[in-house]
Amino acid sequence: MKAVRRGVLRAGAALVLCSAVWAGSAAAAEPLPFGLALPMTGSQALFGADQAKAAQWAVDDINAKGGVNGRPLKMVLLDTQADPRQGINAVNRMISVDKVPVFGTAWSSVVKSVAPIANRSQTLELSVGANSPEIARLGDYVYTTYPLADVDIRALAKYSHDTLKKQKAAVLYIHNDSGVEGARIYRESFTAAGGQVVAYEAYDEQSTDYTGALLKVRAAQPDIIHIQGLVADLPQVITQLRRLGISQPITTYSAGYNPTIVKQLGAAGEGLIVSSLAPSPELSPTVAKFVERWQSTEHRVPNGLPYTQYLYDMPYLIADLYKHVLDSGKPVTGATIRAAMVSTGKFDLPMTGMLEVLPDHRVNKPVYLYQVKDGKFVALATVK
Amino acid sequence: MFDTSILLQILWTGIATATYGVLLAAAFSLVLKVVKVWNFAQAGMMGIAYYTLYVCLQKAALPAALALGIAVLVTIGAALLIDTLGLRTFRRRKSPSLTYFIFTLLLSELVQYVLAMIFGTEPVSLAATVGSASTMIAGVIVSRWDVTAMLSTLACLAVLYVVLRRTRYGKHMTAVADNPELSQLYGMSVARIYALTFALAALLVVAAMYLFGTRASMVPETPLRMMLAAVIAALLGGMDNLIGAALAALFLSLLQSFSVLFIPSAWQGLILYALLFITILFFPRGVKLPRRNARRKPAAAAAPSTA
Repeated sequence: MKAVRRGVLRAGAALVLCSAVWAGSAAAAEPLPFGLALPMTGSQALFGADQAKAAQWAVDDINAKGGVNGRPLKMVLLDTQADPRQGINAVNRMISVDKVPVFGTAWSSVVKSVAPIANRSQTLELSVGANSPEIARLGDYVYTTYPLADVDIRALAKYSHDTLKKQKAAVLYIHNDSGVEGARIYRESFTAAGGQVVAYEAYDEQSTDYTGALLKVRAAQPDIIHIQGLVADLPQVITQLRRLGISQPITTYSAGYNPTIVKQLGAAGEGLIVSSLAPSPELSPTVAKFVERWQSTEHRVPNGLPYTQYLYDMPYLIADLYKHVLDSGKPVTGATIRAAMVSTGKFDLPMTGMLEVLPDHRVNKPVYLYQVKDGKFVALATVK
Repeated sequence: MFDTSILLQILWTGIATATYGVLLAAAFSLVLKVVKVWNFAQAGMMGIAYYTLYVCLQKAALPAALALGIAVLVTIGAALLIDTLGLRTFRRRKSPSLTYFIFTLLLSELVQYVLAMIFGTEPVSLAATVGSASTMIAGVIVSRWDVTAMLSTLACLAVLYVVLRRTRYGKHMTAVADNPELSQLYGMSVARIYALTFALAALLVVAAMYLFGTRASMVPETPLRMMLAAVIAALLGGMDNLIGAALAALFLSLLQSFSVLFIPSAWQGLILYALLFITILFFPRGVKLPRRNARRKPAAAAAPSTA
């Protein structure tokens, strides 16, 4: 009888021990979710789909190395069609159903439309790729991991004056929100550096003939011309500038870092200086491998390479935040994830390098300057 | 700033960039004159023409002549569908003008949406590079595109003139424009004339979009924005006056070009809207230019007695 009782006790202890081990391993394997709301259908899907793929690759790479403290990252991907209403539906679902404490999204209109949801539910929103300066003022729970519009413009203005030694600049800008704001930032920065803006001309966004504005620029005799336009009008503006015999160097911001623009410009594009907020394959072996991976799996380069680089880095940032919270023993909530980001401040990310999150919700990143030579972008300088 | 070479440059470039606007205004005005419809579906036709050319030239790398031929067939097909499936139904039902307006506008919005779904919203151009060879003549930069655009536009307008004035169908179009019921009684097929009108308009639209796309790039919503200038030109030039509409389009382009000498360039777009209001308020039947040889007035006996 005693032997039977001893046997039962031993079996019971073994059962309890196994249950504890099983429960422990289940908790250890429980995934760490985060949301990603991007346009997977619709007119912006060309970029959204590639960005989502880059993020998924990062998740797979992180999980292949053991995840975060043995727990895999899990990405909840929902479609926004780059439409604010769809963005609201997607974010509401990932917060209330999938219980994500953090999510990433892009396209300025969507970032702005879901910001109240992030703030109200205390879920950390990461804007990855949108550059409207308003994003820095959308609330406590909204942060950008992508430099806002002023970072590369200030770098260009400073470089033009301090390094290229240009004293007189002309600014041409498209008459819309981003053009007006960007032109203002360039004028402020160039003037603050000691230069003088001798012409400041806007053009209508529906115009295709810029002759009048360009002749005013020619009459002002600047040393350098900065254009704050869009992908649609940059080739026409630059071509017409050159056609009118205006041969001064031209700079433009990251919208100009686009192989399609260079192709459309042909010979008129030679010497154009553009900025980029992510290193090119020539400057970073990690990026070179990323592009090779893309070529071998998709047989092309990604649409909007700099943006896919930032989306690849986003899961690594989130993994760092999760690790910080798990190591501290605190519960994983949007508030603790946000606190982890604020207290850590600096993150070394594989594709885009060091990311410094500032108290004003902006980020500091180096700006890479490229110049068009023989129809290709060639690295010119890195401005930190 | 008012240097002669600058004024001549603005004049030359203004005329060159007016060319596609002139063709679009002529197309819009032609349909308005004959079919008596404010054809806002023209924006949809413009989008279809442009992206057909884009696929042929940039994706399939076809020669320009073949691409233009395919675009003409596709755009004429689209125009005939609009007339047959849409407008003819409304004519049969004797629907009010508002129905035509809503239908054509919604159709253009639908085409824009579908084109955006297929091609995305990245700007696309029809030419590999947007620049063309240029030379300086008397201090004015003249590009090959400028000359090609002007000659093509003149040729299109000349063909239109010959068709309308010298061919049987052209005269039938004028008759139907004046009185479709009477024309029907005289044995003219009004439905066929309307179809021919849409086909001619489609030709002009294809020519215009080719010129535009070899100089600039476009996104699916661009045609709807370009329609505003065509509508204003049709209003300003007189709603039954193709030459008037074409001249009005040229005037609008030059006005916008020269305006930068007096107002900030950012305000150029406002000029179109200001002109739209002025035209509607003060020139609802268009600007009437004085005729060189005034016609004799009809005899006073024809006037009814007011006693």
